Order: sequence, then C-alpha cells, then structure tokens
Amino acid sequence: MRKKQTNNIRKDVMICRCEEVEEREIVEAINSGARTISGIKRRTRAGMGLCKGSTCEPLLRRLLAQATGQSPGELKPPTIRPPLRAIKLEVLKGKDK
Amino acid sequence: MKAKLAEVVVIGGGVIGTSIAYYLAREGADVALVDKDDIASGTSSACDGFIMLQTKEPGPKLEMALESAEIFQSLGEELAYDIEYRKDGGMVVIETEEEFESMSSLVKRQREFELEVELLDKDQMIKQQPYLSHHLLASTYSPTDAQVHPIKLTLGFAQAAQHYGARLYSFTQVKGIKVSNGQVTGVVTNEGEIRTKIIVNAAGVGAPEVGKMVGLEIPIKPRRGQIVITEQVPPLLKGILTSTAYLAAKGAKKSAKITDQNIRKLGAGLIVEQSEEGNLILGSTREFVGYNKKTSYEGICAILGCATKAMPILREVHAIRSFAGLRPTTPDGLPIIGRAPGLKEFIIAAGHEGDGIALAPITGKLVADLIIKEESPAQLDHLNLERFMQ
Repeated sequence: MRKKQTNNIRKDVMICRCEEVEEREIVEAINSGARTISGIKRRTRAGMGLCKGSTCEPLLRRLLAQATGQSPGELKPPTIRPPLRAIKLEVLKGKDK
Repeated sequence: MKAKLAEVVVIGGGVIGTSIAYYLAREGADVALVDKDDIASGTSSACDGFIMLQTKEPGPKLEMALESAEIFQSLGEELAYDIEYRKDGGMVVIETEEEFESMSSLVKRQREFELEVELLDKDQMIKQQPYLSHHLLASTYSPTDAQVHPIKLTLGFAQAAQHYGARLYSFTQVKGIKVSNGQVTGVVTNEGEIRTKIIVNAAGVGAPEVGKMVGLEIPIKPRRGQIVITEQVPPLLKGILTSTAYLAAKGAKKSAKITDQNIRKLGAGLIVEQSEEGNLILGSTREFVGYNKKTSYEGICAILGCATKAMPILREVHAIRSFAGLRPTTPDGLPIIGRAPGLKEFIIAAGHEGDGIALAPITGKLVADLIIKEESPAQLDHLNLERFMQ
C-alpha cells in the first residue's frame, strides 16, 4: 500500500549533502529567527560546502517560503561569494610578484 | 501600534550587542535588543575567530583582552551553546631581522606584563607548526591564544540572553531616538516605539548613524577586511597564525618596515586558522573603502600570496568562498565604551575594530556593570567618547 502523503516535516531528510544538514536543523534555524537563506546558512552551514548550495538552495528556499508564507520567488537570493567553483589557491593567487 | 516597554534597549545584534544583552538579562534587567537585519549578520559574521593576546601592546587593551580570555574558558558552558572555543595557542611569524628586533622588544614588554609568550627559533617553530615555510626566520608563541566561532558566539549570546528573558527584535530598523529634558525616553522603529530610559548604542559600523539621532558625533569608520575560506582539509595547523608584517599594517607595531607596495596599499597580511570542520580561514586586508563590503580580486590575491608563502602546502588546497566584513575603527584604535557626554543614559559600546570577538565578553560585562551598579568600572576610564572631543 502506498504511504499517504502529508505535509509533515520529514525529519530525517538530508537537505545539504556537503555539510550534512538535515531538514530538522533547517526548521530549527527558521524557528530560531532565520528569515533569509543567508540566515539559514549562518545557523546551519547548509549551502556553505563544496557545491556552494547548488543542490540545497532551492530546497532551503522552499522550506523558508513554506514557513513564512511567502512565495519562493519572493525570497532574496543569498549573496554571491566568489569563486563560483572551488579553485586551487596556487591558481587563484596569480603569479608571484 | 501599542508602544512596547523595556528597561534597556540595546541597538545592534552583533557580538557586542548580544553580549551586553546577555550580561544585562542575566542580572535581571528587562532588555530589548533591536537590529535592522538578522542577529549575527554584519561584521560579526564576516571575521576570523581569533582570541589573540600577544598581538596587543601592554596597556588597557591587553588588560581587557586578558579578562576576556579568562571568561572565554567557561563561556560555552555558561551559555549552554557550542561556540567552538579552542585554546591551542598562537604564533606570530617573523621574516626579517628587523621584524625580529621589533618582536623581541614586544615580547619582552609583554612578559613584564605577565603575559605568557616566548620567542621560538626556526627549529622550534617548525617542530610546533610543521607546514610553515623554511624561509621564515623565527616566530613567537603563546599558549594563551585561542579561537572561537564568531557566528556561533553571537548566536550563543543571543540565545542565552533570550533564556534570561531578553526580547530580540531582528529586522527592526531604528528610525529615531526620543529625548526629553536631557533624558532618553524611547526608541522609534519601523515596527513601532519601544519606551525606555536607557539605550546602548552597540551598532558597530552603524554607531555614528545612531549617534547622530541624539546629536552626537561618533568617530568610527568602516575598514574592510577580506577573507578567503577553503575546502575542508585534514589538520594543517595547530592554533592560530599571523605575521609581524600584519601587526605592522594593523598599527600595533609601527616600527616594522613594510616593503611590499601591494600589501602597503591593501593593508594585507597573514591570518590563518582552521575551523573544527577543517575549513581554513585565510585573511586579511585592512582597507578604507567606505561601506563597500565586496571582495576584490587584488585583495584576494594579496591574501593568498601571504598565506601560500608562509605555508607552501596551501597551494594545493581549494578556495570555495570569499567575503568581506567592515571593522569599526576609531582614531586611536581603542573602542568607545561609556556614557555619552550630556546624555547619561545613552551608552556607547562600539569601535572594537578587529578585536570585537576577543573583547565581546568583557565589554558585555563592563557595560552591564556600568548600567546596573551605576558606577563606572575603572577599565572604562580611558574609553569614553570625550577623549575625541578636545
């Protein structure tokens, strides 16, 4: 038999794989005052890993929108923090002067 | 909207404001804290976590830093929050004979001040920190240096303040301050008024704007510090690391000569620490560029140049993110903490520049004492705003 779909929080779902942050922690962050995607990042580290949030940002957006009653599109995107992809310091630093 | 009431209103939800709110609430005061943005979203979220004592000249700042360092040892337990405090010591690396001279004299003065600090020769230095470059001459070492997670520290103060009954109003912008007969009577915000008789201006780089609301000129200027974060790697260093050249850029050691033009212009130098998760935090620059919080390519290159030169193994590590924070600087490098001249119940606690994290606990405690005990702690004698009003 198929499980009945509910809107309950699935507490054991991994939202950010890079930093291993679960849905439960995201909800806690929102409950403790996070009102932006950046606010969730600062409280949980979700989106701060190697992939820079390319997997979890839409999920964070949806969870935050659900909790605050906004539409996902209304939420401000987090600040872009260069480099856009992981890059070796040897390469990024340029030539020695 | 009905006006709220509070005994004390703290303006600013950074590490200083939340620390003050915590110490006040713990003593039973009825506190409201307001911030135009989120808690821990400005300077306190864009800095390193150094609690470094040996970078400070003997004097009022080192004295406060020592008291703060003492509080930090049990602060995590006290706040019931994991602030990732670690006391693994710290080093200042030395590159030239000239730097060696100036550091020897600083270490001597600090030891007379009873700070635990020593000079290491190259072999001792490499033994302590195996990934340091062999071109370095020597270093200092102090076992008292420690580190903490700045955002967690701020959130920890905020949560503990709430536990003792403080109310936090984030995303609440202060629009004005009401004064009547030389007394503050309320804070006007976009979410209504909070009536109060005591206001603490802990707005960091925003403190001058808040000061203007009561006609005060607060000489704090934002100074940009850029930081690069790397991927998570196995432990590459123990404790925290900085360079003599960076101290010189900071102004603590004016005698050290800075030759690199790029570094001179950007105030760039060496800051390295590793988070519990394994990310390296590499800094930093000291630039006066107004309220511009963007990172720059030249700034990042200068930081990475310093870091890879001191620790060549870092060349192989990947950068994943960079950001910049605005440090609130004052003309003499000391914070402004005390009652405003002519407006007794308006208290300023701002301008810690790069020492906000390290000095947050003692600042919170002293400001709470100032308000609750109604006599000014001796440590604050030289930190009032009047010193800039001659």
